[in-house]
Amino acid sequence: MNNENDNGLDDLFKKKLEDPVGQIGYDEEDWDALEQMLDKRTKRKGLIFWLPIISSAAAVLLLVLGWWNFRTKTDQQHQQIRLQAVNHHQKSNTDTIGGLGRQALTQNPAQTPTQKNPANYAVTPNVNKGSKISNSLLVAGGASHATTSVTETGQKDTTINRADEPLLAANFTTVFTPEQITAQQVSPVDLQKKYPAVLNAVTHITKNPAAFRPVYALSVLAAPDVNGVGSFQQGKVGTNAGLLFTAGVSKKFTISTGVLYSDKPYLTPFENYHTSYQFQQNPINVSATCRMLDIPLNIGYQIYNKHQNKLSIGTGLSSYIMLQQDFKFNYADPYAKGPSDFNVPNSSGYFFGILNLNATYERQINSKVGITLQPYLKLPLTNIGYSEVRLQTTGVAVGLSWNLNSLSKH
Amino acid sequence: MGEEDLHQLIRGCIKQDRKCQKMLYKAFYGFSMGICLRYAGNRDEAAEVMNQGFFKVFTHIESYDITRPFKAWLGKIMMNVSIDFYRANLKMAYTEDLEKAEHVSDGDVVDKNLHYNDLLAMVQKLPQAYRTVFNLFAIDGYSHEEIATMLNINVGTSKSNLHKARQKLKLMILKADSSANNANYNNGMNYNTSIVAINATNINGVFFNKGIWE
Repeated sequence: MNNENDNGLDDLFKKKLEDPVGQIGYDEEDWDALEQMLDKRTKRKGLIFWLPIISSAAAVLLLVLGWWNFRTKTDQQHQQIRLQAVNHHQKSNTDTIGGLGRQALTQNPAQTPTQKNPANYAVTPNVNKGSKISNSLLVAGGASHATTSVTETGQKDTTINRADEPLLAANFTTVFTPEQITAQQVSPVDLQKKYPAVLNAVTHITKNPAAFRPVYALSVLAAPDVNGVGSFQQGKVGTNAGLLFTAGVSKKFTISTGVLYSDKPYLTPFENYHTSYQFQQNPINVSATCRMLDIPLNIGYQIYNKHQNKLSIGTGLSSYIMLQQDFKFNYADPYAKGPSDFNVPNSSGYFFGILNLNATYERQINSKVGITLQPYLKLPLTNIGYSEVRLQTTGVAVGLSWNLNSLSKH
Repeated sequence: MGEEDLHQLIRGCIKQDRKCQKMLYKAFYGFSMGICLRYAGNRDEAAEVMNQGFFKVFTHIESYDITRPFKAWLGKIMMNVSIDFYRANLKMAYTEDLEKAEHVSDGDVVDKNLHYNDLLAMVQKLPQAYRTVFNLFAIDGYSHEEIATMLNINVGTSKSNLHKARQKLKLMILKADSSANNANYNNGMNYNTSIVAINATNINGVFFNKGIWE
């Protein structure tokens, strides 16, 4: 009796409330509210679409500026080091030259910057051309030759680019103080002993031209990898191929980005597959193939660099842009009613949704080309794809890297 | 709306065409609102939940399998967003049962001449936990086991909540009967004033964890 009454009550509500045709009037305000939600999403989506492009542009700009900054510094360092070497050289000369040399140089601080430069320019070429050093040093002993050299280059000075003039002038003043020069008591014999030191200094300069020079490299990568949802127990092998651009931002750190085409098959129990679609009979598992573009943005830290071998570790974030997703449903019962497959051709993006962890071993074959071996692990930070699975990937990328700096003349 | 017209609208929605979205929204407004009104405490809440549902529909329209009935897919989404809303407001949903409602005599409540708006108002007056279970069991036809999984509650809780919901509804029907002569039925959705007043009591009752009835 009680049950019947309950059923009657349920039926009453079911009949009247299940499909209230004509009972509910349309309200335009509700649509306006939804339209606002949709507009907001479009704007946000637009921003997300531009985010990687903007950040890539910012990264490139940063790299260019950084490179420019380093390059300017490097040039200055070159100049300074050259100048110091020259000063060593000139001190020796001065001592040997004796009165005449001293007289000539002690006049320098009083001279205008234009007059100071010739002395530098006169000796700098000798530093660069190592073979001439000995000659220069030897003949420097002759006072008349030294003066001639100064005078000659002094005359040539008008044709030389003097962009670095203030720097040279400043160094010149500190090194060539009359006090320093007069305080030195060196016999002519010391010149022979000092020669190896000067030579060493010069060799040192040529060997170590700058503290850091930015390195750009382009790599072609191909990688077999294993994909799994949650774990790699039911992992399937996928393939990846693409291009990677790497820029060294300091001696140890590199930033790399690029595009990899990725084919990721995976098999997952049905529990991990999320859908609003109601299956009449749930499949036991789902096998899927996702084709996507993987856009990584990674940083690397070099932990070892000796001879031709480099070892570095890296981390960063990847964005996936889905190109095609195919799902195949496998049922326990071969006569089960339900869809056997489902395809989603779309281009939805999952921006910075994957964490990259990698280690890279690189061996330089020559100054231009190197081979790389990179074991990596990709961990999902968000659910990926139409089925919203936590797809993780591990693999080893093999690649050829090409040093772009070999193109530029420095 | 014909099958072909519907598919054309859906194709427009896949292209994110706003006009097609609005047409689809209008076409299924009554159906969707009907579901959300049953699960929600009032019309504003129902409209909010329904819009969430349509937002999901428009943003995931490409995942809709065109060979399946659209209405069933849409209805399922509306039900899911309603349940999501229930989960989000779970703290508010717990209300001690009123023992007064336990001993309602099993009078014949079925033959009462009650309209859609009356019954809807009654369902909406139920505490959210009772309402959700009643909707899922009595109207949408789910079993207690399924409801327990969907709402992450025990089967026993589901049964108990259904029982309490029925008791409360019986009480309301009996009360409605006694005041039937004074009833003033409006057509369509123009019941806002009376419902809002009732719901104000309802919300306060739930909030302060007091009984909501009398």
